[in-house]
Amino acid sequence: MFAIGIIGFLTRRNLIVMFLCTELMFQGVGISLIAFSRYNHDLAGQAFVIFVLVIAAAEAALALGLIVLLFRTKNTLDADAWREMKG
Amino acid sequence: MSELFAVKYSFLIPLLPLLGAIVAGFAGAKLLKGRSHWPIWIGVGISAILSISLLAGMLGLWHTGQNLSVAKDVYTWIDTGNFVAKAGFWFDPLTAIMLCVVTGIGFLITVFAAGYMKGENGYFRFFAYLGLFIFSMTCLVMGSNFIMLYLGWEGVGLCSYLLIGYYYEKPAAREAAKKAFLVNRIGDFGFGLGIMLIWKTFHTVSYFGQGVGTNTGVFELAQMGHLTAYQLTALKVIPFFLLLGAVGKSAQFPLYVWLPDAMEGPTPVSALIHAATMVTAGVYMISRCGVLFFGNQPAMMTVACIGAFTALLAATIALRQTDLKKVFAYSTISQLGFMFVGVGVLAPVAGVFHLVTHAFFKALLFLSSGVVMHAMSGELDMRKMSGLKKVLPITNLLMLVGCAALAGFPFLSGFFSKDAIVGAAFARSNILGGVMLFTALLTAYYTFRLYFQVFQGPLIVPPAPAGDHGGHGGHDDAHGQDHKHNHEPMLMIAPLIVLAIGAVLAGYINWPSRHASFGDFLGQSPSLKQGYDVAKASYGEIDGSALGQRITGAEAEAPFTPIMGISAFVAIAGIFLAYELHLKNRAKAEDLAQSAQPFTAIVQGKFFVDEIYQGLIVEPLRTLGSKLDGFDKFIDVMVALVGNILQIFGYLLKLTMQRGYLQGYAAAMLLGIVAILLFFFAT
Repeated sequence: MFAIGIIGFLTRRNLIVMFLCTELMFQGVGISLIAFSRYNHDLAGQAFVIFVLVIAAAEAALALGLIVLLFRTKNTLDADAWREMKG
Repeated sequence: MSELFAVKYSFLIPLLPLLGAIVAGFAGAKLLKGRSHWPIWIGVGISAILSISLLAGMLGLWHTGQNLSVAKDVYTWIDTGNFVAKAGFWFDPLTAIMLCVVTGIGFLITVFAAGYMKGENGYFRFFAYLGLFIFSMTCLVMGSNFIMLYLGWEGVGLCSYLLIGYYYEKPAAREAAKKAFLVNRIGDFGFGLGIMLIWKTFHTVSYFGQGVGTNTGVFELAQMGHLTAYQLTALKVIPFFLLLGAVGKSAQFPLYVWLPDAMEGPTPVSALIHAATMVTAGVYMISRCGVLFFGNQPAMMTVACIGAFTALLAATIALRQTDLKKVFAYSTISQLGFMFVGVGVLAPVAGVFHLVTHAFFKALLFLSSGVVMHAMSGELDMRKMSGLKKVLPITNLLMLVGCAALAGFPFLSGFFSKDAIVGAAFARSNILGGVMLFTALLTAYYTFRLYFQVFQGPLIVPPAPAGDHGGHGGHDDAHGQDHKHNHEPMLMIAPLIVLAIGAVLAGYINWPSRHASFGDFLGQSPSLKQGYDVAKASYGEIDGSALGQRITGAEAEAPFTPIMGISAFVAIAGIFLAYELHLKNRAKAEDLAQSAQPFTAIVQGKFFVDEIYQGLIVEPLRTLGSKLDGFDKFIDVMVALVGNILQIFGYLLKLTMQRGYLQGYAAAMLLGIVAILLFFFAT
């Protein structure tokens, strides 16, 4: 899942898809954390994932909001449209 | 002793002038304006009353033969580990006399200043500084330890700087203020080192610790028998460090050069700080530290020689000065030299006695010349004026009294005190005595040269530059007009009359010159008692009465000594010479000056001491400074270079790597993470 996310992030140009890919990476890490906590009989990992999910939800709302703003100014979702942001 | 009213409330003596200064300083600009002198009058006035009541109380106790010294701590000021400095006071006859001089004459001068400075810009500022000065000076003379002494010492230096630079819009005043501050810095540096060395040697800075006889203070520890080799060595050098401070503050050779320039300040300041009080701090300090100085023969020799040389040098320079205040400035330096000789030849009584009388008549002379300056619209060049007794009749009389006292005219105050010093100098060495006697002759001559030139003869008044009061920066026209009618306002004349009475009568406080008089009272001070002990141990048999000690044998000495006759003759001869040359036949003086040409030129150039300092010290230092500045610039460039190189690297990276492709960054990050992981797993 993490690998799918990385590949998606590197290959696609659409901002929303790229954002979805970051979420995929998140969940990939979360699932592996749960798996390891199950394997090690340690509930700390699961508790940790719950926190990560809460943060991810908040961050998802923020990021989508930003993407909407970016779309409004340029009328496109292409990530390369923002190249001038380089320092 | 401690039940004395004045001792109980002694903390008010420095506190009230300080409060006055704060009120005048912060409320003066907006609220008080022309009334800014009131806080200072009240503060200094009450201080003066307390000081006089302290002296009176002490005199009462003295007659009943009680102990006259007490330490009074107010609070612990600095307490860090084993270094403790208390904000405390030490009272003995020396303190009481100095306090009366400082606050008493200080009060008279603040009264005078209210008349003199009327209408000046920054009137409140002047009085705030004056209050601060009185605060510092009282701390200096009352302090019970070297840290308080140093506080006052630096405080008066600061006030001196501020007040010399009072007319800061005049470049000469700014330069003079800086010069005074910097030259004093040299002396204060030595003084500071001396105090540090005292602490290192005795692990205390207090004079007498818990009181006399407790052996907890520097002065008593220094006198104890079992001193280590280190302490003995330190005792040999400490006086020289302290002396450096005294030489700076009391304007002695080689650090006297700031005082003549300091005359750029307002005249009341010249009278208070640069004649009556601050410059005598060195004499006070040496008397106070008698136990450190009086047993140390090389140090005493140095004090006496510096004093004698300065007295002669300054008196010689004064011969050819034409600026009224400059004459008095050099005269002050010369008289301070007399005081140094006084303490240097183991006669601190004579030294402090001359300090007191000098404070009266020199303050009188300065303030009188202030009246002249006020009336002559800031003109001070005595060649441009003559016969002023017709315009300024009261000032003429006051000036005459002051000049006669300074010249040592018989039975005026200067006569007694100067005679005491000359006599003590002869007792130590004939050369020293001879020099002092010759200086006394010069003193009488230059003083009356000034008097005859300015007040006698045909009336010549310098033309008043309309509306422009040269020396008086901010005098406005209306004020100048005001004084056309009355050159001698009561507010200015009244303090002068008090000072004149003092100048006539102050000599009689040491009359008859041995017992039951000033000397004996002063001798009750433990500083002098100890000084006598160490001096006796070092020099063998000495004249104890010069240190105010009661000794058997020479008790019934006559009040008149042969020295008195000689010095009276010398004074009158000097006055007569001045009369011949500067009143009867004024052209003759110039002829005489021309006939002794190279010498006259040298004297006129003040022995070129300023130029020599400029060439030998200031210029090399400036060259060194500019060289160091060049080196500093080199370092700056090197430091900047380090930053510049990194900046270039950053710029290159920006051009090559930062291209704006989000995926590019992500790929680079991924590659980086992979590289790190590989690195970790590989090791």
